[in-house]
Formats: sequence, C-alpha cells, structure tokens
Amino acid sequence: MIRRTIAIAAFLLILASLHVIALGRSTEARKQLPRGEGSAIVLPSALLKIAALEFKGLVSDVLFLDSIAFYGGTLNREERPRLKEWEWQWLDKTLSASADLDPYFLDPYLFGNAVFTWEAGMIREANDLLAKGSRHRTWDWMLPFFTGFNYFFFLQENEKAAEFLMEASRRPDADPMLASIASKLAFKEKKTETSIQFLEEMLQRTDDDLSKQRFRKRIEALRGILLLEQAVAHYQKRYHVKPHSFEALVAKGIIQKVPEDPYGGTFYLDPSGSVKSTTERELMPHRKK
Amino acid sequence: MTTFWPIALITFKEGIRNRAIYGITLVALMLFGATALVATMVPREVGKVAVDMALSTISFAGLLIVLFVGINLMAKDLDKRTIYTVLSRPISRSQYIIGKFLGMILLITVTMSILSLLAITAIVMLKNIHAGYFTRFSWQTIILADGLTVLMLIVLSAISFLFASFTSSSFITLVLTIITYIIGQSLSGVKSLLEAPSYEIGFSVSPVTVKVVTAAYYLFPNLSLFDIKLQAAHALAVSPSFILWTVLYGLVYIVISITLAAIIFRKKEFP
Repeated sequence: MIRRTIAIAAFLLILASLHVIALGRSTEARKQLPRGEGSAIVLPSALLKIAALEFKGLVSDVLFLDSIAFYGGTLNREERPRLKEWEWQWLDKTLSASADLDPYFLDPYLFGNAVFTWEAGMIREANDLLAKGSRHRTWDWMLPFFTGFNYFFFLQENEKAAEFLMEASRRPDADPMLASIASKLAFKEKKTETSIQFLEEMLQRTDDDLSKQRFRKRIEALRGILLLEQAVAHYQKRYHVKPHSFEALVAKGIIQKVPEDPYGGTFYLDPSGSVKSTTERELMPHRKK
Repeated sequence: MTTFWPIALITFKEGIRNRAIYGITLVALMLFGATALVATMVPREVGKVAVDMALSTISFAGLLIVLFVGINLMAKDLDKRTIYTVLSRPISRSQYIIGKFLGMILLITVTMSILSLLAITAIVMLKNIHAGYFTRFSWQTIILADGLTVLMLIVLSAISFLFASFTSSSFITLVLTIITYIIGQSLSGVKSLLEAPSYEIGFSVSPVTVKVVTAAYYLFPNLSLFDIKLQAAHALAVSPSFILWTVLYGLVYIVISITLAAIIFRKKEFP
C-alpha cells in the first residue's frame, strides 16, 4: 500500500517537473516564432464595436490595459529609440480603438497624450485623441487644456493654443487662470510671464515625475530669462540705451549675477536686445521629422 | 394565475436546484474578485472600470443561466417525456408554457438579484478604498442598467421558449438562442454601419444586403437597446422616455414570443 503511494507520488513528481520544463521550453520557443512584427494592425473600430456585443466598455478597458502593459514592457529596453515606428502606430491605433468603444473613458486620452507628445513627437496624433475626448467629455476642462498646451509648447502655435484654453475655461470647474493665460497668448502679451504661468498651471495637473521634472527645469530657465528681460528693461529706462551685455547689468548693480541656464548653456543678449540662450534648442522639445 | 402558479413554482425550484447555478455563481464570484484586481490597474478611472466589469459580469452570468439552465428546464420535460404526466393534468398546453415562463422569470429575477447584490458589494468595497477615483458615479444609473439587463435576459429567454416550441432537441434551441443573442446584440451596429455612406466604411453594400439586414432588424430582438452599461459607467444622463419605450419594446417582444410559443406548442405532436 505504502509502496504504491510512493510510486504514485514519484510518478506525479516526475510529471510535475516535466510540466515545468515543457512550459518553459514552449514559452522560449514561442518567442522565436514569427510574430507579425512590423505591422500595426488593429481591427477597425466599426468592426470592434459589433464584435464586442454588449461588452464594449469591457473591451475598451482591455485594449487600454493592453497598451499600457505593452508600453510598460518596453521601459527597460536598451535600444534607442526605445519604440519602433510601427510600435508607435500600434499604440496609437489601439488607444484610438479603446476610445472609440468607450469615448467617455478618460485614461486612454491622458496616457496617449503623455507618451505621444514627449517621446514620440506625435503631437498631431495626441491632439486628435484629445479632440475626440473633448467632444464627448463635455464636462471635462482638462482635455482642451492639454490640447492648448500641446499647441503652445510643442507646436508653438499660440493662436490655436489660446483657442483651446478659452474652450477649457468655459467648462465647469475650470481654473479661472485659464482665460487670462488664453487672452495673453492671443495678444502676444508678456510672452515669458505667460509661458511661466502656463507651465506652472501644467505642473499642477501632472502626476508623472519625469514630466514634472521637465516642467520645473523649463520654468527655471524661463524665470532666468524673465529676470534678465526685466533687468534689461530697467537698464534701458534708467540710461536710455540698451545694455551691451549682462555684465553691464551686474556692474550697475541692477542684478547681482547672471542666472544660470538649467540646460547647461549660457544666456546672452542678441543684437536686437532680446534675451536668448545658447541652449535655445533644448528649450524646444524635439519634433518628429 | 392559480393555474400558472404551481408550474411556475416547480420550474423555479427545479432551476434553483440545478448544479449549473452553483458553477455560474462561482464564475461570477471569481469575476467580481477580478474586478477589484483589474480596476486598480487603471491609473484614473477606477470607478468606471469597476462598474464596467461588475455589470458585464452580471450580464455574462445571466446569459449562462438563460442558455444552460433555462433551456434545460424547458427541454427536460420533452426530453424525459415527463411532459405526458404534466399534460394529463387539467391544464391546457398554453397554461403550461406560460407557467413555465413565469417560473423562468422568477428564476432570472432571483438569481440576478443575488448577483447584483454581490456586484454592489464589490463596487462599494472599491469605492471605499479608492474614493477619489469615483468622481462620476451614480447608483441610480447602475441600478437602471442592471434592471435593463434583467429585462434583456427575460426577452432572450422568451425567444428560447419560442425556439423550444418547434425544435425537437434542446441542443438546437441552444444554438438558435446563442445565434439570436449575437445577432440581437450586433444588429443595430451592423445596421448603422450599412447605413453610413460608403466612403466612410470603405466598401459598398448591395441593396439586397441592406434589405436583409432591415428585415432582420424588425424580426430579431434588438438586445443592444437594453445595454446602458456605458452610461452607467460614466453616470451619463438616461432619459425617462428612453427607459419607457425600451421597457415597452421588451414587454411587447416577450408577449409576442410567448404567444407564438403557446400557439405552436398547442399544435405540436409529441412522439
């Protein structure tokens, strides 16, 4: 009796270890199978809507989770750029499909906006996604606000940005600052101050640490520029001429020292008298070719 | 009512004793557990995903009950020939069908109420933990969505009764009911897809197809009408007139199906 039990236990033990080995090997071998890489096929939303039957909300959730899981999986990749072109396309299509199935679902819009703008330079795609959300979530001022920010920060189209900020400011519970930023943007008034104000507004709405860091750095650089601009104006008012350099400002005691450019460059006065930085390009995020 | 009631009660008891009910409840419990797990994976709209999953679970479990418990209840009497003993009693065949269906309504309502309580518990628990992520939330719409799901299941069950009245095996009834469910849920989507201008969908549709789909639209139950899970998940407004007309549509469809089932069943020859 005992013998038989031992024999059965041993047999089961062998099977169990075989099971683990087979599972591991099969998973390994599966990675070598052709996976249809290089194509970003996602079923068209019209078909997905029909195929999802009464579980559209659920399918939308699954597609969204799929895309964040995929994105999360690429975070420790060594190669640069981290994601291939087709992978960005796939992300875009999957998030759009998720938004089509449940156009009121906030997360795909926010996630798409966050990754497409900073990393992929896919500003138009991000704005398209936000526009869809903005159309449906009429109670939500954040989506037009983000669209406006993208126009201002990445595309440098201030008139467009002002338009979307105004739209955001009209929605319930919108921050009262939005309307004032919008009007200043539209009239090209106090550009640096408005930019700082806008970025600070954005900083408050951002959860992600990396983006926060980026905004803080940008605000610091703009504060340096603002300080110098004000000092130049002050100098001009007092001496009725433009200063030749920042050293003149320090020499006259208007500022104590020239602020440092957080991007590692130096600030300089260009011939027209406006404050620039040698890292001007750093200030502008990279754009897709 | 007095003639229907004993049959309804027997049907209900028979249904609730069915082992499949336990299996389905277990599946539902596991899905409610998964709700808590999946909802917290979403950065912002935890509430939306929780409501989505809870309501979808109720729908799915209800669907299993209609398909695998309900159809059996109807077919068992025929398959096992116990129908002869029932029909030898002083009740008409129509009374028998209506009684059975009332029992089925009772079974669906009771089981769905239990599942809904479980779903509500799952949502309440998540809501207490992640209160900040339930910004747009309305119990009223959730209960309404739940109620319409129950009505949808009753409509589907009525259709399965109609199929059972003329088919000879429960398997055929099952297949026909599943097909009807799929058509019923996708019909309005297909119809609006075909009615969209061809440049939007990328292919042209023959007029015959449009006619077939339009015919199907009036023939099959439009089950997607009863689906307001999306509205419930985002606490969107649902107009009273929509509720009124949808409930009326459901009731009319149920009465037509059961009447036809009774007429066919009356003429049926038993082997």
